[in-house]
This record gives sequence, structure tokens and C-alpha cells, in this order.
Amino acid sequence: MIEMSLPSINFSLCNRCGQCVSQCPENALVMTGQGPAFTDPVNCTYCGTCEHLCPTGAIRAPLYVSWRAN
Amino acid sequence: METDAINQTPLFLSLAQETRLIIERRSYIRDYPAGYTLLIEGAPAESCYFLLSGEVRAFRMNPLGRAQVLARFKVGEPINIISLLNQNKINRATIETLSPVTVLVLPAVDFNHLLARYPDFSNLILHHLAERLAKMTDLAAELSLYAVRARLARFLIELADLDPTSSGWTQDEIAAHIGTVRDVVGRLLRDFESAGLIQRQRGQIILLDREKLIQQAQE
Repeated sequence: MIEMSLPSINFSLCNRCGQCVSQCPENALVMTGQGPAFTDPVNCTYCGTCEHLCPTGAIRAPLYVSWRAN
Repeated sequence: METDAINQTPLFLSLAQETRLIIERRSYIRDYPAGYTLLIEGAPAESCYFLLSGEVRAFRMNPLGRAQVLARFKVGEPINIISLLNQNKINRATIETLSPVTVLVLPAVDFNHLLARYPDFSNLILHHLAERLAKMTDLAAELSLYAVRARLARFLIELADLDPTSSGWTQDEIAAHIGTVRDVVGRLLRDFESAGLIQRQRGQIILLDREKLIQQAQE
């Protein structure tokens, strides 16, 4: 499940500016009627570019820190 | 509802029944969504908030928009006590919700009434004030005594050791917490990964080598 984690998108905050779609280095996002969506999640590397570019804070790519399991 | 909240919150367990009754009569409960600005730095301090659920952060921002996180509050902690105790009664930081939250709101006039008349409430606030002061002292020492690389290593170790249930940190939030910018955090994480100290997977930072990370944290 961890391998398929994706940035979360809050559509109520999204203004559909499209910056995340046009500047995603992996072209993992497309714009839909509702807002941006990951049509091919495998392409997303979780780099956080979309989160950084989003002017409304609608995209969030949180990191969880843990020690390697023994 | 206030009665349940007060009686079930560990924060208030040390208080006498009478004190809890006064808090119940003079406070009210509010819910806020994630990303909501609860308090604005520089605005008049009008209430004390007790966090009943969720998580919030306190931060200061410079005119260029660079933020420094001062604290992250979890369930049971009082918010805005320093501002209310200060003579000018001005919010010392901006408070933003990191998740949907429920707070018990105690207006300033009632906060002051409880402080003046109920020693158990005063002791409770004093205890939290001392904790806050200790954390701010630690933060000041971190920012002045250690380089960014060391601060990031210390922060990662702290998160993995003490806060595994945290709601997750974005690179911007990590940067704001350790007093730097996102690009530096990204570059240092790549450095740590290249050096075999951490492994990054989607949404996960896995710490691999405690000894070497501690070494980084002390430089």
C-alpha cells in the first residue's frame, strides 16, 4: 500500500489553475472537471512539485518518518 | 457537550469539580476544518483554546512569506496562553489547523477570572507555560547552535523516535520547523539518501543508520 501513496487533493480548495498538471515532471496528472487527478498513479514519484506549486494549498504530500523495521 | 468534553479530557482531570464546573459554564465548543487560521499574529488575544481533537501549529512569518514553526499542539494542550498572559494581549503567533479540530474556547475575561480565583487552574496553566518555555528554549538553541544539516538530522530522529503517529509533514512544513526553505530540505534529503542514511519511498522517509544520523545531528 505504501508504494501506491499519492499526494492528496482537496477539491474544495482547488481553483483548477492547472499548474500542477502542466509542471508535473512525470506528467502524472490530468485536469478533470472536478480538478486534477492521477490517471496513472505509477508515474507519480511523490516529488512534491505539485504541492509546492499549488497556490491554494489544495495538494498535500506529507512525509512520514520512521526507523527501518528490524 | 461541554461537560463531557471537560470531564473526558485528561488535561482537566487534575482540576477540582468546582473548577471544571466554572470552565463548563464559561466555555463553548467549536469545530474547524483543516487549513483554517484560528488566530492571526498581531491581532488582539481574545480567548484561550483547549484542543479536544486534531492538531494545530503556531508559526511566525516574515514579510517575504518565510515561515518559522514555533510549536505543534496536540490533543489536550492549551493554545494562546502566552498571548493572554502578556501585558499587551496580542497574539504572539498565527495558529493554523493541520487537521479538522475541535476546541473548547474560553474567553479571555473568563480565563483571567479562573486564573485569579482558582489555584488549581493557575497551576495547570503554569505547568503548560513552563513546558512551552522549555520548548522555546530548545528551539532557540537549535536555531543558533546547529547548522541546517544537523537540524534536519535531529528533526528526523525526533520524529521517528517520539512522534510516529504524527499526521505527516510536508517538505515546506519541515523547512518552516527547522528554519530553512523547502529547496534546502529537498537537497539535504537527497544527500542523506546518497550517503545511505535514509531511504525515501512515496510518502515515507525510512531512517536506516541511527549512529551516522546522530553523528550528522551533532555536527
